[in-house]
Amino acid sequence: MTEEITGHKNFFEEKKGLASWIFTTDHKRIALLYLYSIGFFFLAAVFLGFLLRLELIAPGKTIMEPQTYNQIFTLHGVIMIFLFIIPGIPAIFGNFFIPIIIGTDDVAFPRINLVSWYLYMTGAFLALGTLFFGEGPADTGWTFYAPYSVKTGTNVSMSVLAAFILGFSSILTGLNFIVTIHRLRASGMTWFRMPLMAWSTYATSWIQILATPIVGITLLMIVAERSFGIGLFDPSLGGDPILYQHLFWIYSHPAVYVMILPAMGVISEIIPTFAHRTIFGYKAIAMSSMAIAFTGYFVWAHHMFTTGLSSTAALIFSLATFFVAIPTAIKIFNWVATLYKGSIDVKPPLLYAMAFVFLFLIGGLTGLVNGAIAADIHVHDTTFIVGHFHYTMFGGVGIVFFGAMHYWFPKIWGKMYNFKIANIAFALIFIGFNALYFPMLISGLQGLPRRYYDYPAEFQLTNVISTVGSWILIVGMILMIYNFFRAKKRGEKAPRNPWGGLGLEWQTPSPPPLHNFDKMPELVEGGPYNYKDNY
Amino acid sequence: MNSPASNFVEGVDFSLWFILGISTFFLVGITAVMIYFVIKYRRSKNPKATNIEGSNLAEITWTVIPTILVLFMFWYGWTGYEPMLKAPEGAIEIEAHGQMWSWWFVYPNGKRSDSLVIPIDKPVKLNLVSHDVIHSLYIPAFRVKQDLMPGKDNWMWFEGKRLGSYDIYCAEYCGERHSYMLSKVNVMPEADYEKWFNEKTTAPADEHPGLTVLKTNGCLACHSLDGSKLVGPSFKGLWGKTETVLTDGNERECEVDENYIRESVFEPNKDVVKGFGKGLMISYKETLGEKEIQDIIGYFKTLK
Amino acid sequence: MEHLVLPNSGLTRDDEGSKLGMWLFLYTEVLLFGGLFIVYTMYRYLYPDSFLQGSYHLSIPIGTINTIVLLTSSLTVAMGITALQKGNNKLAVWLMVATMFFALVFMVNKYFEWSAKIEHGLFPGMDAYMQLPRGETLFFFLYFFMTGLHALHIVVGAVLIGVVTMEIKNGKQSSTNFAFTENAGLYWHLVDLIWIFLFPLFYLIH
Ligand code: HEA
Ligand code: HEA
Ligand code: CUA
Ligand SMILES: [Cu+2]
Repeated sequence: MTEEITGHKNFFEEKKGLASWIFTTDHKRIALLYLYSIGFFFLAAVFLGFLLRLELIAPGKTIMEPQTYNQIFTLHGVIMIFLFIIPGIPAIFGNFFIPIIIGTDDVAFPRINLVSWYLYMTGAFLALGTLFFGEGPADTGWTFYAPYSVKTGTNVSMSVLAAFILGFSSILTGLNFIVTIHRLRASGMTWFRMPLMAWSTYATSWIQILATPIVGITLLMIVAERSFGIGLFDPSLGGDPILYQHLFWIYSHPAVYVMILPAMGVISEIIPTFAHRTIFGYKAIAMSSMAIAFTGYFVWAHHMFTTGLSSTAALIFSLATFFVAIPTAIKIFNWVATLYKGSIDVKPPLLYAMAFVFLFLIGGLTGLVNGAIAADIHVHDTTFIVGHFHYTMFGGVGIVFFGAMHYWFPKIWGKMYNFKIANIAFALIFIGFNALYFPMLISGLQGLPRRYYDYPAEFQLTNVISTVGSWILIVGMILMIYNFFRAKKRGEKAPRNPWGGLGLEWQTPSPPPLHNFDKMPELVEGGPYNYKDNY
Repeated sequence: MNSPASNFVEGVDFSLWFILGISTFFLVGITAVMIYFVIKYRRSKNPKATNIEGSNLAEITWTVIPTILVLFMFWYGWTGYEPMLKAPEGAIEIEAHGQMWSWWFVYPNGKRSDSLVIPIDKPVKLNLVSHDVIHSLYIPAFRVKQDLMPGKDNWMWFEGKRLGSYDIYCAEYCGERHSYMLSKVNVMPEADYEKWFNEKTTAPADEHPGLTVLKTNGCLACHSLDGSKLVGPSFKGLWGKTETVLTDGNERECEVDENYIRESVFEPNKDVVKGFGKGLMISYKETLGEKEIQDIIGYFKTLK
Repeated sequence: MEHLVLPNSGLTRDDEGSKLGMWLFLYTEVLLFGGLFIVYTMYRYLYPDSFLQGSYHLSIPIGTINTIVLLTSSLTVAMGITALQKGNNKLAVWLMVATMFFALVFMVNKYFEWSAKIEHGLFPGMDAYMQLPRGETLFFFLYFFMTGLHALHIVVGAVLIGVVTMEIKNGKQSSTNFAFTENAGLYWHLVDLIWIFLFPLFYLIH
């Protein structure tokens, strides 16, 4: 334990003051800038979700007018998608850890990294600015479907502009990671000795670069359409609303893999660390990330089965949708196999990883229902879809986000949190989550459409359970956040390697020094997760 | 269990339950194995891990089996859907109109109704017409759903297989009162349907003709008759009142007279009453004639 | 305080890396316009006659002049980079200034072209525009949107080249350190390339 007492200052101590943060080019500080801003917007959106649930506890008007409800679910969706879940893991944990786990001291373009954050903040303020300017937040749903989005009087242009700027930020982040991973790996770190977190970030970055520009331009067209009344997507002026949907989903389907791939990367780190053994099927996991990134491009029209798609198109897109499920299945089987004959420490990060497997399975398997054309005709635009995407996005990505917080918290702040509180919070989150979203799957199968402010009385039971679930979930979340703040203030000091992990991040002090390492990082021989018997 | 309500229920439900069945199997199986491993190989029980880098046999197994399974899922999804693509010859053709936020149906003989009435066991083809934005006609009990795309001739077909009345929902978000865009489909014995089909008037004899016009054109989805504020101004007490309207962004006062009403119906977005949204109402220039306008005005005069 | 400097540091100069970054960025630009080309193709297919009518309103001479101007500017920027690499900074500066001059010529031309259209009320939302048949409105909208976006890129590119020129002048860019100049050049070629697509699509296909 002597190695901890080196003379190095950690990156927090190196410089002080506000300016040292908002003008920093250190990837770790930028990561924390992202953490605090994303965390803030996330809490705002969570609060909106909570309001949605309150409104839905009983049919008819409970706490708000229909128009307010429509604006709230749109803002909730926009913030969650564009401000939380797409940037979340790459911008926070990717920024902090990608340079460290590949053994370098920063990303390839540190200044562009900072520019991305400013773009993110600009987009965020525009998105929230809709609350105060014009006719209030958009009421279109996060999908901004034309021609409604062209007709409505609410401030759609500003929301859409926000999404455009956020897309630009996301492109720059992706570009930065690709170049970083290509150019800055430590010597000896070949592609197949890279941690899986790096692989999945790499795959994600490619999707960001390849898909985001299309939606960017599409959204600009919506702004132009609203400003000049062109009729690009408005049939009464000769345009085609289906074209909009194609352009939107060409981006937004791949975007769901932008969300999930980094989460899968984190899981691939957590599971071997706590099983203390090599990951099962390293290459299969690495390559399946690339397969998902690639196949994910050819399935977008599965969101459009009821629009009167030609039968050939429906057939092809449905088939492709099923193929994109295979690489995900491969990953899940490999993770479970990694537990086999391990020596397993059941600590909070692992609990989150296990919860992820269960919840994401439900999300992914309900995705198969959506992919089958006949079944999708029935469940499309019902609460079944709402259940599906909360299980994948929140149960998949959100839960991993929490898992990542628990996994890397000691490294980032050098403090340890209380395990008992963490476990209780975990249990509440898990129970609350299922109570909140499982009933949505049921009412969806019974035919309750989504984005419904009011509903027939027969759907009340499932809605009440959901709402109560949201309360349990929120209590769990508050407990979890409390635990982090408590740890930051008066947690025990964390050692370099509290979990016995093998990634390079565990070779540096907690928190790391400004340039990441205080001694030359040592690569593990063989593969990246080659556990020796020494732990 | 009830017998299926339409000819598509079986195909759709089969694909649904087939996938959900396999899914449950994998969900339970994978979760159980995961928990079993975590308990069996926990630190205190198994202090030394065995490194296994992988196994090609395992990778192949869990690639091939899911691939075969998803091909079946795809296939049943397709076979459940395929029959929806071709309406039989001689199906009864009905126009289904959607507009923010109401439905109406027009029958071959010109009869109009705000709910759908169909005979049992007869194929029915709905030609879907949207007058403003995208809507989606959804009958959960029938397992059918199709978008009403403005500017595009979408259609759907089905056969009612069980007598009764079922909900019609609008499944595509279409604005403020999306969740109130509801209707019913009544499946009747053929004889009853014929009788209904040939009845001349749908409106009760003592109904004001102006009210009938308002009802059949979906006006009441947005304008109330009792003074409450919906999406558009209420009709109660409207006649003769002075409204503050916005014309190209400039406020001005306007008396509600015949001209005002006609303009509001034909060019609704020219003068918009202060406090209400622009662009929400479509023009009725093509739909309503002078007689209907006079009927409406006559009716407004009774709403003091 | 001493810091450990890694051999693969992100904080040191990496020309290869910045070029890779630039190529990736150019790729996103291509895709940005790609989205518009998809829309263009689709509406050209739906309204072939209107698009034809629309293209008659555009002046082929002005378009041709601008094409030549841009092609020449691509040449000057390429020559400028070579000059810099060979150590002839003075010539490089002149060639860069020439490139910016061509950019200016292009914009002036564009200004006259646009203002003629706007005088005729063909800008989206104006009177004459509103009278046009459906397909033609789409044509003019796409014309203004795509050439406008392209003009914005010209401005950005010209500013970039301006910065490059300053840096060559004060020695920051030189025969041993020319990655930034090269990247600005790449960007300029892209802007040129996009025009090569826009020109026939809007002016020539009859
Ligand atoms: C993180 C986000 C995320 C992820 C990862 C996914 C993953 C998948 N999604 Fe989902 N989806 C969304 C987010 C996501 N989705 C959102 C936000 C929407 C709604 C948008 C809106 O309209 O607002 C949506 C909507 C949506 C639709 C449109 C539904 C509709 O509107 O009608 C469809 C249709 O096919 C679909 C399918 C799938 C499939 C097949 C997967 C697959 O990738 C899942 C693969 C995973 C598994 C299959 C589980 C693991 C498998 C095994 C362990 C093996 C056993 C399985 C087999 C036998 C194969 N999704
Ligand atoms: C990541 C994505 C995400 C997440 C996490 C959530 C979270 C929640 N969502 Fe979500 N939701 C969407 C994405 C998401 N949603 C999208 C895209 C839509 C579609 C919008 C549309 O139709 O256009 C939607 C729509 C939607 C609807 C459907 C509206 C409708 O169709 O009528 C409902 C209804 O109940 C709902 C409820 C909730 C609730 C109660 C929560 C949560 O509030 C549950 C409670 C969660 C918490 C309490 C978490 C608190 C966590 C913290 C405080 C931790 C922060 C920690 C740190 C940063 C350290 N959402
Ligand atoms: Cu009409 Cu929703
Ligand atoms: Cu999708």
